[in-house]
Amino acid sequence: MNFRSISFRLVAWHAGLLAVIFLVLCALLYIDLRRFLENDLRESQLRRARQIANTLLVHVPQTGEAYVARQTADWYDPDINDRFIRITRADGTLVYLSAAPKDGCFEPAEVPIFPPSPKLESARVLKLSGGSTLLIAALNFKSSGNPDYQVEFGALLDPVESMLNHLFLQLTLGLPLAVVIIAIGGHLLVRRALTPVEQITRAAERITQHNLSERLPVAATGDELERLSVSFNRMIARLDEAFQNSKRFVADASHELRTPLTILRGELESLTDDKRLAPEVRERAGSLLEEVLHLGKIVEQLLTLSHLDAGESQTEWSRFDLSELARTTADQMSLLAEDKKISITCDAGAPLAVEGDRVRLKQVVVNLLDNAIKYTPSRGAIRLRVHGVNGHAMIEVEDNGIGIPPDAVPHIFDRFYRVDQTRTAASDSTGLGLSIVKSICTAHGAEVETQSVVGKGSRFCIKIPLPKN
Amino acid sequence: MRILLVEDEKKVADIIVRGLKAERFAVDAVHDGREGWETANAYNYDLIILDLMLPGLSGTQILENLRRKNPLVPVLILTARDGMTDKIKNFELGADDYLTKPFAFAELLLRVKALLRRGPVNRSSVVRVADLEIDRLSQQVRRAGKKIELTAKEYALLEYLATNPGRVFSRTMIIEHVWDQSFEGLTNIVDVYVRHLREKVDDAFPVKLLHTVRGVGYSLNHEAQA
Repeated sequence: MNFRSISFRLVAWHAGLLAVIFLVLCALLYIDLRRFLENDLRESQLRRARQIANTLLVHVPQTGEAYVARQTADWYDPDINDRFIRITRADGTLVYLSAAPKDGCFEPAEVPIFPPSPKLESARVLKLSGGSTLLIAALNFKSSGNPDYQVEFGALLDPVESMLNHLFLQLTLGLPLAVVIIAIGGHLLVRRALTPVEQITRAAERITQHNLSERLPVAATGDELERLSVSFNRMIARLDEAFQNSKRFVADASHELRTPLTILRGELESLTDDKRLAPEVRERAGSLLEEVLHLGKIVEQLLTLSHLDAGESQTEWSRFDLSELARTTADQMSLLAEDKKISITCDAGAPLAVEGDRVRLKQVVVNLLDNAIKYTPSRGAIRLRVHGVNGHAMIEVEDNGIGIPPDAVPHIFDRFYRVDQTRTAASDSTGLGLSIVKSICTAHGAEVETQSVVGKGSRFCIKIPLPKN
Repeated sequence: MRILLVEDEKKVADIIVRGLKAERFAVDAVHDGREGWETANAYNYDLIILDLMLPGLSGTQILENLRRKNPLVPVLILTARDGMTDKIKNFELGADDYLTKPFAFAELLLRVKALLRRGPVNRSSVVRVADLEIDRLSQQVRRAGKKIELTAKEYALLEYLATNPGRVFSRTMIIEHVWDQSFEGLTNIVDVYVRHLREKVDDAFPVKLLHTVRGVGYSLNHEAQA
């Protein structure tokens, strides 16, 4: 589970907050109910004690104490109603003590005699050995012309206790359950609310430069999500337009540049071929033709770069052995190197399967080797190495040629960049070879690294990610 | 042999018509897509050369209409676009060959001849140019009866030049046929190979067979080119 996800955080906050509120409410309810019930019980006991005092004890001089005891037992039936009634004189001797209740839930004789409270009315809670709890309300009866008495009236607190315990149990069980239900409900609700986001994400994943005409689903809810998907769609539309413009430019430029080149080339070819013309005229036409061809080469390479920039479709994608490609290319280029007395060693042994456009990757090797041959003096050495290093295929081209000055290294992949005059010595170079290498590598998700020391040589390293399986 | 050329660029059309007429072909040129389709429909041509970007009706549409009525006539597509999808689409519609502008006229001619013969230009197993003999089955080369040892690439280059003796092959054509398109733009490799080939084939003999044509390319010819 992702603890930082919106869904988790929302649910956690919402459930946590509700849990705290519930806890406080339950605690208040429990405490308040307990106080109310205890007060109520005490009041009713006191009321009865007052009744005894006001109706019986005031008449003791006329009726005598025995009458009081008889009448009290008669009125309140303490043995049936589980009541505790005790009337004592000021010296602590008993006038009346109720009999034990019929179900024997407590023994009245066990209740110790307390010294009379200074207050007129008081109450205390008493835990008895039988396990039951008594709430005893005491009333001090003082009247002129009468002896002083203390009337105690008690009732069991157990029903109140058991009710409160039951409530407590229900709350402690119910509260976590309620929180869990809220959390689940909240999770479902959040997930429902986030479903459109999920859909938008998935649709956005599917859209690449090859299907920019597709759009994200728009949930017509009028809320933030609708606005989000609408603005995403506007962004995709702008991207689409930019890609289309770029592609259209490549197509238009191809046509606009190639047609005049075709005419120039054709006319110059026929002039060069025309045996009726003076040799020096044909010679000049030939010289022009060479320049037209060079111009044509630049146009072709620029268009290749535009194609690569525009994310040329990957119709030519296949899986092939890079080692084999390196060996054949080195072999095909060897004569070109031999011509300058440069040796090419190819270090590509074990088959190494890569995925990509074979022709384009071969062009990378060709351009790098060609570059190395151009800038390595006679009797130099070039080493081509292909090997696999943790998840990547490496193509390394190393020479011991003239090298590249450190301040030029970051620019050698720029279009038409020339290091210096010596580098332009190779007249048929267009200044685009390394740019093409870079663009092809980018299209294959590959990295290019360059190390070079002036006078010692250069090393180009291409790092192509290997297919996953 | 009657050829129809549908090409809206009049100058390009002129060059092609001139060149093909010099090779004794009868050529009709039209400069508009609709007219091109009507002409192609009305007459029987041995070959149609079709530009893709045309006013009125595009080359692709003409090809589509044409193939519904006449599946046999060879069609060579000329285009200034080189998108792979374009190429595949037109081949699927029934194009027989494809040439991207700018092209060497020599290459157009070679392809036209190949299409008209429906097969390689020269099928015989032994090719002779003056006293040079190339046996395409055993891949052996002799000059004046003496065996010449060539590497695989040198042989491929010589054999390609020998498919049409006297014709000039551009470096780009040679690269595309003998190497592959990865070497595009690397034309100096051709010069190096031709030089090596010359050392073996020409140096020991008074009559030179390999000729350089400035700005165009190379040819294999027993008559010296001025």
